[in-house]
Amino acid sequence: MSKHFVTLNVNGEDHDVVVASNKTLLDVLRDQLNMPETKYGCGTGECGACTVLVEDFTAINSCMTLAATMDGRKITTAAGLQKGNELHPVQQAFIDKAAVQCGYCTPGMVIKSVSLLAKNPNPTEQEIREGLEGSICRCTGYLKIVEAVAAASKAMAGTAG
Amino acid sequence: MSTRVLTEFDLLLPASLEEALDMLERERSAVTVLSGGTDLLVAMKAGFKTAKAMSLAHLRNLDFLAYDSGSGLRMGPRTTIAQIVDSADVKQHYPALWQAAKIFATPQLRNTATVVGNLLRGSPAGDCSAAVSALGGTLVMASAQGRREVHVDNLWVSYGVTARADNEMAVELRIPAPTKGTVSAFRRLTRVNEDLAKLNVAACLQLDGSTCTGARLAMGCVAPTMIRLPSAEAVLTGATINDDTLALAAEAVQQDISPIDDQRSTAEYRRAVAGVYLKRTVQQACGIA
Repeated sequence: MSKHFVTLNVNGEDHDVVVASNKTLLDVLRDQLNMPETKYGCGTGECGACTVLVEDFTAINSCMTLAATMDGRKITTAAGLQKGNELHPVQQAFIDKAAVQCGYCTPGMVIKSVSLLAKNPNPTEQEIREGLEGSICRCTGYLKIVEAVAAASKAMAGTAG
Repeated sequence: MSTRVLTEFDLLLPASLEEALDMLERERSAVTVLSGGTDLLVAMKAGFKTAKAMSLAHLRNLDFLAYDSGSGLRMGPRTTIAQIVDSADVKQHYPALWQAAKIFATPQLRNTATVVGNLLRGSPAGDCSAAVSALGGTLVMASAQGRREVHVDNLWVSYGVTARADNEMAVELRIPAPTKGTVSAFRRLTRVNEDLAKLNVAACLQLDGSTCTGARLAMGCVAPTMIRLPSAEAVLTGATINDDTLALAAEAVQQDISPIDDQRSTAEYRRAVAGVYLKRTVQQACGIA
């Protein structure tokens, strides 16, 4: 099996790693870079727990992405959203609205919400629900999550995001 | 078999199209081509084995998307479903493709999956495959020997098998430009939006007033491959589009399809809804929903 030398820029920091051809980006983040905030859910691109951002705001399933194909790419996980001690407005809104129960989907859900708001800073409720397709929460019934995204949208209005 | 651990394989990462074609020439059927990988990785996690996979990730300039009112739409093998959704040209000139892309899978998968990959997967359920079939697209295949064109009508050979030779790579998809009176639409039946289709339909009609002068109808999940619907097309061609002719076309569809029971639906149900969905898709295309 082939091995590949790649540089992954994760949350603003370059990491040089040797990855086996069959390792996904999720495997490398969790097992080689010790960044467990990105979660393994279904492994087949349906649940969204593994969602990360590539090149700023493009949300992808890290469980469906071969790490060796990501050389030189800029990746953001949920742990890379905060600036210093200040949480990202989406993270703060998830806390304020109690949009978390077991929390397993939350990193992917937060990342997905950031991606959604980057593309559509002022979404309707319907647009939020459509934008969150591909991220499954089995606890909350989504209402608090949708409220949190709406609240983050308001909080981010007029800021650079 | 595990959704966590991928089976072992060698990954080829060509840096140029020439290198990719040389690799295909050398490796032939030993290598599986991977563009977005959203289908192949799931297949590999479900037990599909390949000795080598060739990723197109490092190939540059293959994610183009360009529309010209004369020559039509051109896209590359790295052009994603998300690019289609974001294209005002596709939305305006190729409604069937835009509508298929809009509800394709999930936002994350749309950012990765490609239209060309959807075609070459050879699945009878591909949403963009239905749209491209109705719109009459052509794939440009390249090999170390040269290039050839494969029209979508000749692309799907049997379930999962396409006309792509094992030393070939699709380098471009072309879809003809619409003319005055060209209309199209796509519809899909699923339980929830993220699901793969129980059934999908795309229609592209040439209208002269309310008379249909030409029809390309494609339906998915009702045969081993995506299929055209020749009986229904024959009913509509030359006819005025109204409730009576749509009812006849809906009836004619039964002769064109051969659905089976599978995990997403039953043959009986698919037969029951096929005509209804065809009718609604044509109405949607003609703006008489």
